[in-house]
Parts: sequence; C-alpha cells; structure tokens
Amino acid sequence: MPSKSLLPSSPSEPKRKADVNIRLSEFEIPPMQDVLLVGKRAPIGPEAIRRMVSALSPDQYEVIQLDHDIFEAVVLKKSLVKLLPKEKLLPLILEEGARIATEKTVVKAQVNIEIQVSRVVDL
Amino acid sequence: MTRSPLTIGPGESVERAAALMNQHRIGGLPVVEDGRLIGIITSRDVRTSHFNRLVADAMSKQVVVVSGECSLWEAKELLEQHGIERLPVVKDGRLVGIVTKSQLYAELGKRIDALTGLNRAEFLQWKASEFLQGGQEIAIIFLDLDDFGAIDKELGHVMGDRILQHAAQVLRSVMEDGIDYLCRYAGDEFAVVTLRPFEEAKKLALRMVTALIEENWPHGLKVTGSAGIAGGRRSCSRPEGDEACTVSDLINMASLASARAKKEKKAVIVAGRVELKEAG
Repeated sequence: MPSKSLLPSSPSEPKRKADVNIRLSEFEIPPMQDVLLVGKRAPIGPEAIRRMVSALSPDQYEVIQLDHDIFEAVVLKKSLVKLLPKEKLLPLILEEGARIATEKTVVKAQVNIEIQVSRVVDL
Repeated sequence: MTRSPLTIGPGESVERAAALMNQHRIGGLPVVEDGRLIGIITSRDVRTSHFNRLVADAMSKQVVVVSGECSLWEAKELLEQHGIERLPVVKDGRLVGIVTKSQLYAELGKRIDALTGLNRAEFLQWKASEFLQGGQEIAIIFLDLDDFGAIDKELGHVMGDRILQHAAQVLRSVMEDGIDYLCRYAGDEFAVVTLRPFEEAKKLALRMVTALIEENWPHGLKVTGSAGIAGGRRSCSRPEGDEACTVSDLINMASLASARAKKEKKAVIVAGRVELKEAG
C-alpha cells in the first residue's frame, strides 16, 4: 500500500511557488552621496555616521554639529567646500532639508555645483 | 559611593544600555572609553533616543563629576543645582565610583542630629571652609547652655532632651536663612557660622542669649546660655582643603570665649577677629 505522502494533494490545499527577481546595482561607498542631514531623533546619530564614513571613506567627510530645530548634525563631503564655502552652502541645504525632514529622519542630498567663470585676457 | 560601577562603552547601542539598566535596576550608566569617563547615559536619554543609536550619540557629554575628597554637602549642592540623580566620582579623569542621590541623602541623614533636627558639627566645618575658600568673611558663634547638667539631674534626661529641642527652636527663630547656619555642636552646645559682618555677628550672639532668657520655658525653668564669638577672613589664597584647620582654630577660639563668658557670667565674650594666614 502506497504511503500517504505520495498521494496527490487534496484539491483544497493551495499550490505554492516562488517567483525570484534579482536586481543588481553597484553599492555606493559610503552609502551616501554628498550630504547627510541627521535628525535629532534619527535612528542613527552623528557619531555612528562619523565612524562609518571614517571607516569607509577616510578624510572625505566632515561632521558638523548643529544647533537647529530639526537636525542634530550635517555630514558634508569636503570636496564640496572647495567649490562653495560652508557658510554659503549649509544654509541652503538646511533650508531645503527642513522642508521635507522630521527629527526622526536622516536625509541624503545630492549636491551639484557648477562654477561659471568668464575671464578676459589681453591679446 | 558605589565603587567600580557598571559602565558602558560609547560604541554600544542604546538598546544594550537600556537592557543593562533594566537588568541591574539602575537609572544611569557612566560611559567609559579607554578607562576615561567621556559621558553618562541615563534612563531619560534612553527614553528619548532611538534604540539603534550608539551610546555616544545618546549620552550627555557634559558630565558633572566629583572627586573622592568632595564633601557630602558639596555633592548634594551639585546634584540639586544641576537637577541630576547621580554623580560619577573621578580621579585623574578615571572613574572610581558613582554616588546616587538616595545614597547621598541617606549619608547626610546620619549627619543630622535626630533630637533637634539641626545639622551636626561636620556641617559647620564644611560650610565655614566653603565660605573661606570663596574669600568671604565669617564669624563663628559658640553657645553653651548654662548649668544644663543640673536640669538633667533634677528633671531627668527626658526633660533635658525636651529643653534641648526647645532651645534649638528658639535659636533657629533668630537665624536668617542663607546667612546664618546653626548646628548642634555637641551635648548642650550649639554653634553658628554666619556671613554677617563682625559687628552684626556680635549682635546676633546677643540676640541668641536674649532669646533664651526671654523664652517661656516649661516648669517655670530658667534656661540661659553663654556665647563666645570669633571671626576671620582669609588673607591670601592657599591650597584647597587646607582651611579646615583654620576653621577649627576659629571654633576653638569661640568655644573658649563661651567658657570664659560662662565663668565671668557675661552674655557674650568676643574672642576676636583674626587674619587667617597661609598654612604652615
């Protein structure tokens, strides 16, 4: 007599199947771009981010502590500051960040700075 | 204090800190890195921080600390001034212990005279040293009840204790908060450290003696006291903590003056006003 497990499944039992989709993309190191705005009650704080960026991209980011209503700190790619002074860049980023963020969030920002130069030289 | 208290590292999670606090039923953990105290994380920090955060991102970095030589009253003032519950005790930047509010209050309770509710002599010593270190002029008034032994012998020690309680109330009634600090020095002796100018301090000593005379005592008793007074100001700075011997000198001068006042049947005898010199 055949065993019970070899019997066809009953019509009421659901059929199970797996659908596998794989999406591959390059992992950014560190997993941020130009700027991170760290909310005061975000799940990750400035010290943790400092440790992360110094381990993954040493000397490339600066962590700036803030006295701000929403954000505790901003993490800034140092190369951006070569293009635009911190004093001019930070207020812009904070103003825009504050429009969309809460104390509990960490906001990632991509900042593109284009410098336009027009010079005249004597011929 | 609790020696070698439980600590946590800055790289641990807030969740781990919360678990440790729950497990050991404590309300705060000193944060230590390479043996040095770098912060403190309390149950309040844990409640207001995300559990994923590092302790370094949730702790208070401005830690109010004390040294092992700090007096109990000084520690109490720090706790109350900063509205905190615990004080790490450090030596050369390294954590050696922690003292909590409840531990401190329990110890201070032992330094309060149970009979009169007044502070004991150690408080006077500390308060006087603190004022001297702050460059303030102080006066010590030492008051000894007259013939108190006779009250004990004739009416018994229970009545003697009631008289002492009553005397403490009478003396307290002529004190001003924040200026005069009264304590029961020992037995039937009371002492005051006051910030009043010396002439005012002499008037206070006289008021203390007069208040006892004018009080309506039980059993028609007459209770009187004799006071001695000595005052001083530190003339130049000296290493911290060395004032205690100077304060002892002042207390001694005032106490001897009160003994003379009793012998010569005078209300108050002024021992004098001294310049307090450098130790040694």
